Amino acid sequence: MSWTSDPILVVDGLVKRFGGNVAVNQATLEVGRGTIVGLIGINGAGKSTLMNCIAGMYRADEGRVEFDGQNLIGLTPHEIAAAGIGRTFQVPRTFERLTLIDNLMIPMLNRPESEDELIALAEAGLAEVNLHDLKMNNGEELSGGQQKLLELARVMMLEPKLILLDEPFAGVNPTLCTLITDKILQMKEAGISFLLVSHDLTSIYRLSDHIYVLNQGEVICEGGVDDIRDDPKVVEAYLGG
Amino acid sequence: MSSILLYNALIGGLVFGAIYALIGASLNVMMGVLRVVNFAHGEFVLIGSFLAYSVFSLTGLNPLAALPVVAIAMFFGGVAAYYLLIPRLRYSDDAETSSFLLMFGVSLMLVSSITWIYGADIRPVNFSFDPVNIALLTVEDAYGKGRDGKVLVPTARLVALVINLAIIAAMTWFIYRTLPGKALRGAIMNRDAIQVVGIDIDRLSANAFGLAAALAGVTGVILTLVIPSVDPNGGAPLTLFAFIVIVLGGLGHPIGALLAGMLFGMVEQFSNVLLPQSAAQMVGFVMLVAVVMFKPEGLFGRKVMR
Repeated sequence: MSWTSDPILVVDGLVKRFGGNVAVNQATLEVGRGTIVGLIGINGAGKSTLMNCIAGMYRADEGRVEFDGQNLIGLTPHEIAAAGIGRTFQVPRTFERLTLIDNLMIPMLNRPESEDELIALAEAGLAEVNLHDLKMNNGEELSGGQQKLLELARVMMLEPKLILLDEPFAGVNPTLCTLITDKILQMKEAGISFLLVSHDLTSIYRLSDHIYVLNQGEVICEGGVDDIRDDPKVVEAYLGG
Repeated sequence: MSSILLYNALIGGLVFGAIYALIGASLNVMMGVLRVVNFAHGEFVLIGSFLAYSVFSLTGLNPLAALPVVAIAMFFGGVAAYYLLIPRLRYSDDAETSSFLLMFGVSLMLVSSITWIYGADIRPVNFSFDPVNIALLTVEDAYGKGRDGKVLVPTARLVALVINLAIIAAMTWFIYRTLPGKALRGAIMNRDAIQVVGIDIDRLSANAFGLAAALAGVTGVILTLVIPSVDPNGGAPLTLFAFIVIVLGGLGHPIGALLAGMLFGMVEQFSNVLLPQSAAQMVGFVMLVAVVMFKPEGLFGRKVMR
């Protein structure tokens, strides 16, 4: 039974195999509109693969992915981005030898505004994540945490309805963690939905409206924070019984 | 040794260096964006040369008259070739190796086609500028006391150099100053990231393929001014030079390729003057091996903008 009455993303029975290895096995989940959904699991549980299937980086072997009523199966990553899904990566994939301004302008390549208007939008985007002072620096000159913020700002240039956040707090100092958390909550307030993958259970528990637990490619349980925290299946998956 | 020879080596180095730079930079764009090992790049250059030869032999016009036609035709030909050939590589287990084999096949096919159309003979492009040579400067005592000498440069080579440098400047401006150019560089840096920010990688790749083909074709036209003959089998050495330039400059670094091309041209021309001929031919390749051994990321790997 669905936990949300207004899902923006529905993943149903998704399967992804690499040769004989089933990385995602009949995964089913939903993200409610304007909610943050956590996706947790140990290393190799299939979280990033599932993200990649949703974002079109991998082609699912079976199953259905529906976003805002639109079937995403068979669409390319740029078509999925255009549909309103942004994503960030566990290891930030900034354009390391482009300036921060250029990093934020590339998603707006096909927009009709003048270059000056695009620059103004990019500068505003950088200001949102406190990177405006570094606007002429190259992406590679940022710390890991700042690169995560840059990715978040870059995703925002797409004006997404849903953001797939892959380990946004990994390797980030506490100050930037707070900043990223605040930004996520602000965006949620603005109506953006999130599917959040993280090893940082404290952050997941703090931010998520609903949580799915993935183990060996399968969703083994789901529920609110209180349901998940003490679920024996989760404890077993994390601690090995 | 006469200093005139050194001046000639310098000018020759600039002329050939600019040509190598353009060949290398265009291949670099293609390999960087598409991860396609274009073993037919020399033949792309050759197509430009033969089209210039056709314009010259049919109309008597300056081979440079073919420049805009070649640029446009090769761009759209490149885009079409991309959609015909490259997307299928996605289904390969090892796309880069497959691309090498595919483009090697294309290379053989193009050589056969050119030979079929034009024959196997080397074709002369006997266009001459007026004046044929330009005296750039006078060197005092070039041949001993009281015997001044003039540094004469073929006008065709100077024209080739000027046009080549203009094209390099335009390409550099496009890649480093325009948003589509920055998107191309973004694709070189990270293909995954460029896709998730909503850029159609197929369209971008097709344009990169077209741009690289157009630049290669344009280089072929310019080459007919520097070497006034076209050889159906002349593509392979050009491909080799292009790969050398990429290794020297660093894969994915358009500016690195330009600098490496100029460097390779200079080394080649000065070696021709300063060393015995058999040794001179070796110097460029020694440089290549040394770079692979000691600086595999390329001479300009971390020092220039990607």
